[in-house]
Amino acid sequence: MTTNKSQDSLQQQLASLPKDVKPGRDLWQGIELAITQQPSVADKAKPKSWMYGAVAASILVPAVAVWLSISSLSGPVEPGLDSAALIAQLSEQYESQKSSLLVTYQDKPALTDNWQAQLTELEDAASAIKAALKQDPNNVALLRMLQTVYQQQIDLIERVHAPKWQQI
Amino acid sequence: MTVGQGNVVDATDAFAQQQLQQHLQAAMQGDVQAYQQLYQKYVGQVYALSLRLTGDAALAEDATQEVFVQVWQKLGNFSQKSQFSTWLHSVTANVTISYMRKQRGWFQRMFGLDSANEQQITASESLDLSQLDKCILKLPERARQVFVLHAIEGYRHEDIADMLNMASGTSKAQFHRASQLLQEWLGDDDQ
Repeated sequence: MTTNKSQDSLQQQLASLPKDVKPGRDLWQGIELAITQQPSVADKAKPKSWMYGAVAASILVPAVAVWLSISSLSGPVEPGLDSAALIAQLSEQYESQKSSLLVTYQDKPALTDNWQAQLTELEDAASAIKAALKQDPNNVALLRMLQTVYQQQIDLIERVHAPKWQQI
Repeated sequence: MTVGQGNVVDATDAFAQQQLQQHLQAAMQGDVQAYQQLYQKYVGQVYALSLRLTGDAALAEDATQEVFVQVWQKLGNFSQKSQFSTWLHSVTANVTISYMRKQRGWFQRMFGLDSANEQQITASESLDLSQLDKCILKLPERARQVFVLHAIEGYRHEDIADMLNMASGTSKAQFHRASQLLQEWLGDDDQ
């Protein structure tokens, strides 16, 4: 009898359970940020400008590596083809990407406390490689190392700041 | 209700439905503002389900954001043969469960926890919750998930078993356990 009563009571409360519960904070801002950085269903069908950039980069980066490789085999760099300028341009692109990421995530909590120390380590590594490249500007292995270290910086920033749903 | 009042209600419903369709179509074309309207309309429902499944206010907020991001990506999969809210609830349940699973994996990797249950999961006291909701949030995780999916969302035990990687018998047992606990707690509150 008591069991039936409590079952009925539970059923009644279930029937009147509110459909909505308001979250304690506004969640839209984070959602908007995430969806405006990702392609929507409609966008997926269209070729985007960043795709052209990615295609161009995929052609340009190996081209630079090949050019450096050839120039390292064939002796001094030809006039007009300054490898140091190309390395500087590459560095500038990564630094710009890194800066914009840091600005984007500046108000977002990071997952780990020591990510800045890790970033500093990677920045130190990049500086050391760039110093070595100044001595040996045609060294393809060094160039690849520099690219890897830059990419690691980008990955680190994205990983520790990305919304939790992207980390899980 | 008079015939006149009935007509007004019907017209209001029809208008709301038309507006929903417009927002939906625009969002499918990539209109963020239209999608924000959908968010405003449904965030309470999505958050309610996420909160009941996770038992944790902050986790539910993150899961709700994840749901709306994934829905944006998956709007093309919505057939429009079913109600948008039905589809949204289904996405919410799946995304939240997946989110909890991955979150647990992340905690295990980072802190070596054996189970997410070992965390002290708490619901925010600031939320204005019904007595039943407060009790649901106190349930053990598996029992809570099964209860919410079966009793509130109307899933069959066979479907819940698939979603939660358990036998359907286990789902039934967990539901029984949850019901017993809730009846006990609600009975205590009445006295």
